[in-house]
Amino acid sequence: MGETSDLKANSNGHDEQKGKYMTFKSGNEYFGLEIRYVNTIIQLQSVTKIPETEDYIKGLINLRGKVIPVIDVRLRFKQPELDYNDRTCIIVINVKSMMVGLIVEQIAEVVEIADDNILPPPTIGRGDKGHNKYVYGIGKVGDTVKLLLDPDKLLNDEDLSVVESVNDMSMDEE
Amino acid sequence: MAEEFSTDGMLDIYLFENEQLLEQLQERVLEQKDADCFDEESINEIFRTMHTIKGSSGIMMFDNITAVSHKLEDVFYFLRESHPENVPHLQLVEHVLEVEDFISGELEKIRNGDPADGDASGIVADLDEFLTMLKNGGVQEGIEPPPENVHVEPKQFYIAPVATSDSRFYKIYITFYPETEMANVHAYKTVYALKEIAEDLLYSPEDIISDESSADTIVKEGFRILLQAQCSEEEIRQIIGVGYDIKEVDVYECKAEEFLQGFDFGENGPSAAESAVIDLNASVEEIESKAEAAAAAKEAEGNESKEPAKPKITPGDFVIKSKEPGKRKTLAKDKKNDKASFISVNVSKMDQLMELIGELVISESVVLQSPDLNVPGLNLDNFKKEAAQLTKVSTDLQDVIMSMRMVPLTNTFQKMNRIVFDVSRKLGKEIDFVMVGEQTEVDKNIIEHISDPLMHIVRNSVDHGIESKEARLESGKPERGKVTLSAKTEAGKVWISVEDDGTGLDREKIIAKARKQGLLDETKPDSAYSDKEVYQFITLPGFSTNEQVTEYSGRGVGMDVVIQNIQTIGGTLEIESKPGLGSTMILKIPLTLAIIDGIVMEVGGSSFVMETGVIKQFIRVKDDMMIHEPNGDEYIMIRGEAYPVLRLGRWYGLEKYEEDVENGIMMILEVEEKKICLMVDKLVGEREIVVKPIPSYIKKVKGLSGCTQLGDGSIALILDAAGLIE
Repeated sequence: MGETSDLKANSNGHDEQKGKYMTFKSGNEYFGLEIRYVNTIIQLQSVTKIPETEDYIKGLINLRGKVIPVIDVRLRFKQPELDYNDRTCIIVINVKSMMVGLIVEQIAEVVEIADDNILPPPTIGRGDKGHNKYVYGIGKVGDTVKLLLDPDKLLNDEDLSVVESVNDMSMDEE
Repeated sequence: MAEEFSTDGMLDIYLFENEQLLEQLQERVLEQKDADCFDEESINEIFRTMHTIKGSSGIMMFDNITAVSHKLEDVFYFLRESHPENVPHLQLVEHVLEVEDFISGELEKIRNGDPADGDASGIVADLDEFLTMLKNGGVQEGIEPPPENVHVEPKQFYIAPVATSDSRFYKIYITFYPETEMANVHAYKTVYALKEIAEDLLYSPEDIISDESSADTIVKEGFRILLQAQCSEEEIRQIIGVGYDIKEVDVYECKAEEFLQGFDFGENGPSAAESAVIDLNASVEEIESKAEAAAAAKEAEGNESKEPAKPKITPGDFVIKSKEPGKRKTLAKDKKNDKASFISVNVSKMDQLMELIGELVISESVVLQSPDLNVPGLNLDNFKKEAAQLTKVSTDLQDVIMSMRMVPLTNTFQKMNRIVFDVSRKLGKEIDFVMVGEQTEVDKNIIEHISDPLMHIVRNSVDHGIESKEARLESGKPERGKVTLSAKTEAGKVWISVEDDGTGLDREKIIAKARKQGLLDETKPDSAYSDKEVYQFITLPGFSTNEQVTEYSGRGVGMDVVIQNIQTIGGTLEIESKPGLGSTMILKIPLTLAIIDGIVMEVGGSSFVMETGVIKQFIRVKDDMMIHEPNGDEYIMIRGEAYPVLRLGRWYGLEKYEEDVENGIMMILEVEEKKICLMVDKLVGEREIVVKPIPSYIKKVKGLSGCTQLGDGSIALILDAAGLIE
């Protein structure tokens, strides 16, 4: 099923992973994800569609026996959909003990960004709308900038909290 | 907490062990909560448990747990050593449970990484008071031994092993080979073996140990045993076993009355003096002296009592010697322990193993269907033979892992027992709680899901179902209410029912409430609703007919949560009720979430799976069988019946699905007497499929209940017929 690179192999190395970001390209921008969230990167495989879901949720894939949902990052960013090609990858991330695959146009590299090179995102003119809700910082690497993503918000800001509150309610009512 | 050295591993073991201990403790306590007192073995057991918990908690430096367990240990130490009379049993039970709750609570805190900061002083003070009370009471009672016990050991302070409904009575007649040397020793061997299971045992000739001449008698006349035990004839035969010495064993089951009459088989029935009763716990040497003592006691009794001497010895006369009156219980326990030994395994490892096996099966089918094998002219005979073997092994492997996940409901039921006890005590209701079929095995995942709903239902039964004592007496019912929790497997599902003999549901009240909330169709009269429909209203959110909110229920939230929880695991809840006679809630739950028989089908390039059980029929449809309504609804006439048609492709808005009914295939689905016709493009085949939940990230889609991997590694969605019909 194509090459896979297990970045989580060194799981006790929290310190080693600190400050490292997995960057990928989507549209014209480069985005960065803190590397501790990244489980593995796989090539695009066949995705089973699920009816009646948001269009950015592309469906389910089978990752070594685990069924995980995948979302298309471009669609999530409200960018026009592109046909997938052989550079298209799925980054599998772990967020709150949940595994989710992100379909990205192209993987870039792993970069190190020191904390003092990370700036808060500019809010002028955009309010809290648009990209900014998933972007928590802008990291400078040389001449380029990477938009750093908060994977938690990226996945599903509203829906997740709804699910959680429902669960909490049902727990309370025992 | 001792943080200087790593306690991680130790902590895990500590938590695990103590939780198990507490669970066993609770089970034991609840088992005997209705008795008049704990039997000696339980006292020892509780004492030991507390001692262990005290010790390990001391090491782990959880001082409050140590203090509490130490106190309870003191109480049971006193009980064990001094055998006080008149122990307020229920109070004692409550104390034990209180301690158990406290420690459980603390363990939970520890597990969550919080400091174990519960205040133990209240409980300790209570226990102190209780102990003092016991001590005073105990001293008074201890002075004069109960008179009826004169002729037996003064140590005895509990009732004798009486015949329970579970006890059975046997006459056993053993014939030895004539050439057997020292038949008396062989006979004693048998007696000794039977002691393990016996509640009462009587044999003849009696003096087999000291009197060597008895050997001749045994060889000539055979060896006779009267046995009272909770076991089957088979088991007895197994214990005795025909061997090189024993020629023949006859076992007859008899009635209690016959048993009490003593030996009446064989003309040469032994005289009273020849029979003997053995102390179940006596050592070999003691037996003789016991027999003498017994004879003496018999005499003494004969002198004292005004009853005429009985012609034959009967076991009832002086069997009351067991030092452990709880023998009966112990026996039940022993049987449980007969099960093979267990090891506990981390569930995540099991899950991992299961996943791996799932993958193995898939990789296997990928290998076996590899396109490389399709080279023309390749001789694959041997390959195919070996492949078949591989398939067999992997199927077996799957079966085994599945069976490993099956767990009996016993623990869950025990929890309910506790709830009934707590709630009924608080509400001042007396309730008999009966459990039936708690050995029924269910997948571990399911157990996790039903525990909470079941708890709620049981609580409802005790709180709302069973009336107060006064109300019960008024309506001519026995004062004690009865709640029956039973489980059985039927038609691939587990049925768990909670039955009470309380008031039942009030149809009128429910209808009135439903009207008020606008749930009923205004144009329909009340009578248009069936009982079943009416009772279903109580499962709606915010629906409670109870005027008063009690501590346990009545807020109108609850039943809807119960329903939700049950539905998430594909179960249903049925409510039956007879006014004034009680109500029954039946949970029907799939045996396992993990594997179902399903039909794989294809629609618009996607694969779907439907559980085989709900599919009644497949049909090819001609265009002229279809009925189109102007609003787009479609029906189909089959043998004079009209079924609504659901086109899966259109319903889910898939692409490129089959539009023409003559090219597709229809299947009739039936769930709870509702039927629909589902149209798909084509069928792929029947499979056993491993069900996996749809990741929680994706919100629930109506009509989908899970997903699975197909043989080629792709994912198919599992359809939920009930959801589609809605």
